[in-house]
Amino acid sequence: MLARLAENLFWAGRYVERAEDTARMVDVTYHTLLESPQGRGSQSWEQLLEVLHLQELYGDGPIEPERAVEFLVIDRDNPGSIAACITRARENVRSVRELVSSELWESINDLHLTLRSRDMRQELLDQPFQLLRWIRRDCMTIYGVASETMPRDDVWRFMALGRLLERAEMTCRLIDVRYGQLEPVLGASPRAAVGGEAAMGAGRTDFHHWTSVLKSASALEAYRRRYRSSMDPADVVEFLLLEPDLPRSVVFCLAGAMHQLEALSGGAPSPATRRLGRATSSLQYRDVTDLFDVGLHEFLDGVQDQVGEVADAVAAEFFRHQPTGAMHAIATG
Amino acid sequence: MGDLFSDYELDGFFDEVFEATGVRPHYRGVLERLRYLSSDDLERREAIRDGIFRSAGITFTVYGDDDGIERTFPMDLLPRLIPANEWDIIERGVVQRVTALNRFLEDLYAGEQAAVHDGVVPRWLVHTAEGFRREAFGIAVPHAARCLVSGVDLVRDHRGTYCVLEDNLRNPSGISYVLENRAAMTRVLPVAFAEQRVRPVDHYGPMLLRALRSVAPPSAGENPLAVVLTPGVYNSAYFEHAFLARQMGIQLVEGRDLVVDEHVVYMRTTKGLERVDVIYRRIDDDFLDPVVFRPDSALGVPGLLSAARAGNVTIANAVGNGVADDKALYAYVPDMIRFYLGEEPILPNVQTYLLWDDEQRAAVLDRLGELVVKPVAESGGYGMLIGPHASDEEVETFRSRVTEDPRGYIAQEIVALSRHPTLIGDRMEGRHIDLRPFAISGEQVEVIPGGLTRVALTRGSLVVNSSQGGGSKDTWVLQAEGPAKDPDASTVEREV
Repeated sequence: MLARLAENLFWAGRYVERAEDTARMVDVTYHTLLESPQGRGSQSWEQLLEVLHLQELYGDGPIEPERAVEFLVIDRDNPGSIAACITRARENVRSVRELVSSELWESINDLHLTLRSRDMRQELLDQPFQLLRWIRRDCMTIYGVASETMPRDDVWRFMALGRLLERAEMTCRLIDVRYGQLEPVLGASPRAAVGGEAAMGAGRTDFHHWTSVLKSASALEAYRRRYRSSMDPADVVEFLLLEPDLPRSVVFCLAGAMHQLEALSGGAPSPATRRLGRATSSLQYRDVTDLFDVGLHEFLDGVQDQVGEVADAVAAEFFRHQPTGAMHAIATG
Repeated sequence: MGDLFSDYELDGFFDEVFEATGVRPHYRGVLERLRYLSSDDLERREAIRDGIFRSAGITFTVYGDDDGIERTFPMDLLPRLIPANEWDIIERGVVQRVTALNRFLEDLYAGEQAAVHDGVVPRWLVHTAEGFRREAFGIAVPHAARCLVSGVDLVRDHRGTYCVLEDNLRNPSGISYVLENRAAMTRVLPVAFAEQRVRPVDHYGPMLLRALRSVAPPSAGENPLAVVLTPGVYNSAYFEHAFLARQMGIQLVEGRDLVVDEHVVYMRTTKGLERVDVIYRRIDDDFLDPVVFRPDSALGVPGLLSAARAGNVTIANAVGNGVADDKALYAYVPDMIRFYLGEEPILPNVQTYLLWDDEQRAAVLDRLGELVVKPVAESGGYGMLIGPHASDEEVETFRSRVTEDPRGYIAQEIVALSRHPTLIGDRMEGRHIDLRPFAISGEQVEVIPGGLTRVALTRGSLVVNSSQGGGSKDTWVLQAEGPAKDPDASTVEREV
């Protein structure tokens, strides 16, 4: 396959995932604010922008909740906005229309066209939850359609690889955005704060926070079945990072990415598989309880960096072949 | 003939379907079929056609629109028919012309320049042609197949004689419409089609691939790799580029997919670099290689020309063909045929006047309002003056342009283009048409039977280009022993 097309597939996977996860994060921030007595609106949005590395683009000035939501959902000048991600995903899929199923093209084209035609600003004001839920569902539809209509060849694998690496990063950010917002209230040891009887006000808020984090990762029901009614932040973090059967957990995504990568490389170890393996094991053998002491934020940043290195290695292995002399030609025919 | 042809007027033009005494014999079968179609029937068939084109995504982009609106190139329901004896003239004429042009270009860029040395074509004209590329000197092409694909535009004059209007030796487009029109037509009018013994066109892809592989450099080995090079999805002909790659089963690449290393061209794949032997490029010369041409071109491949010069890759069509598309050089093609082939031209040129010649210019300026004036470097109907249709002001503008830059323009007698009944609303009206047959040069020159018939949909208009509101017709070349023999063809032959 042409390297450029493979890269476009990889990014198509990433952009749709980024759009969906951004919808999840905006949703959780909204939810938390609604149920929070302090009403620290601008601070929460500021932290969300920071976690998404978009605060510079947002510009200085005060952070108004309405403007922040618009910026994250429909602002086309923000390359990280949901609308911009879908447009870029569509452009990428358009360039590989010959390779993907027509159903996949249609589903992404439909979402793109609907996003362009609807009066999103009004909908964001009136019914933000419906709008965000609709975007999430349409993104999932795109994957569903792809999954049901495409053969499991390299075309599929590059797209799946992009999606899984993006999701691994975004789940880290999802955990991070909540943790960052809670720090001022909880201090260094969230387990004590929630587990103990003290600081009930903070604990109750905290309970809502982590509930909506789990909900936005579509993990609340699974978490309850595992942990019953206990809502220990350490358990939540561990569940979202390390639960091997949860489709949005970081470990699940990395294992899936490994599966695709090995198939793409024909099973031979490569810099990309080695990096991915290192990232996975450094997660798996980590005791989560002491993460809060070390600094969860720093740890999550480290995981994201490692995933970023995997993506770089994938690009070097598949997308960026450079000639270094005539010997690099592979046999043809 | 039913209501379709009520009030049908010939208006003194050569009509493809009707002669003075009635329907030309080779059209009788098709018209007989159409006679039974009610207007509901026609509407239904038009709907079928529109559905086919939309779902196949057969569109061209109209520039200047915000979202790059994609339009279909409307195909008329009534096909254009060419009887075998007429096609024989066209085919031999096009092969002859393209063969001579290949010889001229190969001789000019990689040979002795005999035509220039012997004064058949003035050297200064060659060197001042916009399409002339000094950078192409010394790059030979196997079989001299420099015009690997050419789209020679033919028109018929008031007597029905086929004349050459343009040669289109650089990047002629439109073949995708030929193939898609045919595919649609066999579904829209299946019975009429089956009765006519129409020569097929669907072997174009394999034919083109065979030609591309035949011009691979000797270093390529037994199984040469060919690719189609496109400027990208935003190009107006992108649909055709993708279509051709699919028809041939080869990769459609952009400039950034290719890289030159030590004068060898490679394609970047996920499994590494793969050597490329032949490039069917649909990018203009100027954008092909930023090292030698426009340095700001992001569409091309740095070092591509040096790879071609080193004999490691063949670029098709060859670089510099535009010199022979210059309308002042077009006037010399009949002489090229005589010089290189020792034959008389089978297809005549349209009577052309060279304005750098003082006598011819004076004569032309005297009767500017009766002639067509064209800039030498343009094609596709851009920037020309059609004297009888122009205002006095426009005529005067061209008078001063021609006086200032006599090398930059040519004048031609107006050709009263033949007309063909075309469905306008719910009845037939005569519309002017032309014909672009596609010739492929490989080991020899071959012409795909038929070609693109373009229709000037605006009443009275002589401009058939798709960018200027043209439509198209499926073009049926009938088998030699077809049910219809054209008694008129003998006249055509005499005149040619």
